[in-house]
Formats: sequence, structure tokens, C-alpha cells
Amino acid sequence: MAPVWSLQYTGAMTKNTTTIIELNGVTKKFGVYAAANNISFTVREGEVVGFVGENGAGKTTTINMLLGFTSPTKGTVKLFGSAMRPGSAHISHRSIGYASGDMSLPEDMTGEQYIQFAMAQTPGDHSARYRELATVFRPQIGKKIGDMSRGNKQKIALVAAFVTNPKLVILDEPTSGLDPVMQDVFLDTIRDMAAHGTTVFMSSHYLQEVAEVSTRVLLMKQGRIMEDLTAEQLERRGGKIVTLTTKHAVTLPKDDVVIPTSTRRNGYYETSFDFIGKPSVLTKWLSGVTGVIDVTITDRTLEHEFKSVYESEVGDE
Amino acid sequence: MNSVFVRTLQDKRWFILGWFIGFALLATVMVVFYPSMRQEGTLDQLMATMPDAFKGVMGDLADLTRFDTYLASQLFDIRASLLAGIMAIILAMSLTVSEEEKGLLRTMLSLPVSRVSLLLQKWLAMVAIIFVTLLGIVVAVYALQGTVDAAITFAAMTKLFFMTWLVLVAIATITFAAAMITGRRAIAMLVGVLVMAGSFIVSTFGMSVDWLADYEWLSLFHYFPASEVVRQGIETNSVVVLGSLTAISLAASLIVFRRRDVN
Repeated sequence: MAPVWSLQYTGAMTKNTTTIIELNGVTKKFGVYAAANNISFTVREGEVVGFVGENGAGKTTTINMLLGFTSPTKGTVKLFGSAMRPGSAHISHRSIGYASGDMSLPEDMTGEQYIQFAMAQTPGDHSARYRELATVFRPQIGKKIGDMSRGNKQKIALVAAFVTNPKLVILDEPTSGLDPVMQDVFLDTIRDMAAHGTTVFMSSHYLQEVAEVSTRVLLMKQGRIMEDLTAEQLERRGGKIVTLTTKHAVTLPKDDVVIPTSTRRNGYYETSFDFIGKPSVLTKWLSGVTGVIDVTITDRTLEHEFKSVYESEVGDE
Repeated sequence: MNSVFVRTLQDKRWFILGWFIGFALLATVMVVFYPSMRQEGTLDQLMATMPDAFKGVMGDLADLTRFDTYLASQLFDIRASLLAGIMAIILAMSLTVSEEEKGLLRTMLSLPVSRVSLLLQKWLAMVAIIFVTLLGIVVAVYALQGTVDAAITFAAMTKLFFMTWLVLVAIATITFAAAMITGRRAIAMLVGVLVMAGSFIVSTFGMSVDWLADYEWLSLFHYFPASEVVRQGIETNSVVVLGSLTAISLAASLIVFRRRDVN
């Protein structure tokens, strides 16, 4: 299995000097409930940031503040060095492309009319880019949006978000309605844009797709950023998933074990755990285990990292 | 073509057509009934036996002898204003909270469109739609007045049309502002219905209920006495009051909508 955390492109990594997004102590409360709680992070030019977390973690609340749909209760949100405020958000939006998985589009318009409408709001000739995107996404531009399937609406939203060559792309569950072929097209487009210096901030439930394109991952839980890791850090952290079938119960290594499970089936013990320590420690431990029937060792993925953050802290909640 | 104003008009084309036809049909009925209504005597005697509140609903029957005052009292003063008031509230709601609930407002605001520009373009579209739909009355009256051997001058029609439009713009803008300020359907609907129904009740029953008459100035219809408008022209004060209400509502919505969270 190929390492999940290897970078798919390197162009963006050489350009990350300018701060595009800056959140400083941002809290958003709805009544007494803090949907985002004292969040701080920065995103630099050319980064592709995956923004992951369970439902209700505060991802969309954060994205709403990034786009100026809502104001933070406390703290500051800056885009391109300027404070993001609802009344002046349109100035930043000239450099932002946005699409979400549940985006509402005017149902009475055709795909063509909506894309033209979106293009017209940003000065410049975007026709060449439109042709490019139309070729790869193949949106049903002549059909009324109201008559389209969810996936086709999603293609229209993505083309409209990308068509003006924005400096920053903010995406909220962007592939939730796309078929696997279109998901690949989407990921290729993100890679291509990133290679040309576009900054991407993308929330997604599809951890594999986040892992494939991201240079950095923010993991959010209960309104807080729990992990902020670059691809290198994730790769270094890496680790293995070990599944072991033995005749006898085994004693796990003392340290560096995450999410251990053990079941007894057909007279054998099936033990599984994530190991995030040094490989030599794991090898030494395995050599001491007796009665081994079967053993599989695979690389940990972002999904496992995600689960370890959520499941290891269940007791804290 | 790619402005919010034009998109709104395009989006509302069937609404415009439907209400235009509706107003034209209403005007048609009123014009067609004019010959039987203008026969003096019978209706006057009947109305004399009715309570004052009912007379308020039916309008001043002394106005029936002239076509212009007949249209003022029977079409513009009651029926068209009431029907168009309902339309104005529906229109204001559909351009604001309905779009916000569907997520379309967020979609528009994700583009480089400022909140001030978005609000003003929607408001202008609303004002234009009210204007165009009310033209259904004008078209029907001028198309059919020859068939009943009657005529209304262009000046009288213009005054009635302008004041109807002004009252409706005020009702629509107050509802629009409540929606843009709060983003809540229930509040916007409540404000719109209170203004509309409250004005109607106060103006209608103010004739017969003494204590209510003291509050008649609170009714928006108080500033559009249609028969008086035909006879004596438009009162500047009425235009100022309705215009001020509209301007204040619009300004309040601009100030708050620039800052508030969009759902």
C-alpha cells in the first residue's frame, strides 16, 4: 500500500509565504452553545488544507465566518490580510471561489445562465477557463438547474467556483454528490489549481480524498482544532495498523498503542491496534508473541488518525 | 443581463404575469359593472339602511355617478389596494426570507456582490414588479372603458395609480425590511399582516367606531383617500409620510443587513 501522506505535487510548497487566511481566537456562539471555540490558525498561499471533523464539529460554522456569512462572537478573521466583515466581504470574494455540497442554486436558471451570472460578477475574461472546466466536468449547461440531479448541480457549483481563477478556493463537502469519476476529475482540478498557486481550504467527510490532495490537515472536534498537521508531520507520525490472530491472548506493547480491540473467535484471539511508535519496537514486540496464526500490518491513514482523535477521547466527554 | 435586479425580474416573470392578469381581471369586472352601479337611487337607498362599518367596506356610493370617482372608491380604494397589499407582502417575503431559507441568499453573497447592492437591487426589483403588475388595472380600464361609454382622464388615472403604487411600496418595504433585518419568516409575516390588516381595519371601521377614528392616521390607507385624490389631487403630506416610511424602512434594513448573520 502506497504511503497515504506522500505529497501528490510540490509546486504549492515553494510559495507559502503570504498569509491568505488568519483566524485568531475565533469563537462563534449560538446562545450559550459555542459552535467554534477559540480557534486560531493560518493558511498560507498555495497550501491545500483539508478540514475534517465529525458532523457538528464546527466546520461549516468556521467556513461561514471565513466567507463573511456570519461574524465571530469573539476574535478576528482575516483574509488576504484584511478583516473579514459581512458588509465588506464582497471585496474578498473577488478572489474567492466557493462551493458546498448542499449549495442552493437558482432552479429557474440553466447551468449556462448561472455560470455566466457568476462569471459576470468578477471582472475579466473567463471564457477560456470556462471552456477548460466545461470539458473536464461536462456540466449539463443547457438544462434548468431545477431539473438536474444532485451531482449535476454540484458540477455547476464547482465550475462556477473555479471559473474566475480565484486565489483562494473554499469548499464545504464539495464532492458529496459526485460520482467516482467526477470525484477524480475534481481532485485532479484541485491539484492543478494548487500547482498554479491557488490556496485551497476544503472540508470533507471523504478522508481519503482529503489525504490525497492536502498539504495540511486541520482536525476539528466540538468547536476546537484538535490537530493541525502538515503532510510531512502526518507522514512522520504515520504508524501501522496491526491485526493479529493468535492461539493465546496477547499483552500489547506498553506505549504507542491506539484504539486496541480484542475479540475471541473460533477459539482464536483476534487483536487489532494502531501502533504509532518506532517500527523497531513493533518488530521486537511481534517477535516475542507466541502462537501466531496470522498477522497483517498496513499503514495508518487519515481515517485512523481521525478515529483515534474521536475515539481515544470518548472518556473525556 | 447578469445583475441581481434583472435576475430577480426574470425569476419573477410568471408572478408578474399572473398578478398582471389578476389585476386586469379585477379591473375588468369593476368596469363591466359600472353601468349597473351608476344607476342612481336603488343602491343609495339600500346602503342607507346599512351600518357605517359596512359603508366603509363598500366605499362612498355618492362617487358612483362619475366613472373616475367610481373607480377610485370601488376599485383603487378597497379592492385593488387590498389585493395588491396581499401581493406586496407575498412578493416581499419571496424575495427575502424565502430565498434565505432556501440558501439562495448565501449563494448570491458567496459571489462578489455586496450586501448593500444585493439589498438595493432586490428592493428595486420589488418596486418595479409592483409597478408593472398594477399596470394590469390601467390596461384593462383603458381597453374597456369605451364599452361602458365612460372615460377616465389620464391625469386622474395617473394620480390613482401613483398613490396605489406608493402605498403598496410602503407596505412591501416595511415587510421587506422586517425580513432583511431579522431573517425570520414569522416576524416578517407578522409585521406585513399587521400593517396591512391593521390599516384596513382602522380605515374601514374608523368610520363607525369613535375611539378607532382617533388612530386612523396610523393606517397607511389614510394617506390614500382615492376619491379625494381624483377630486382634489394628491396631498403632498401623504406622499411625504408614505415616502418617509419607505425610506426609513429601507435605511434600517440596509444598516442591519450589512452586519447581521445570514442563515
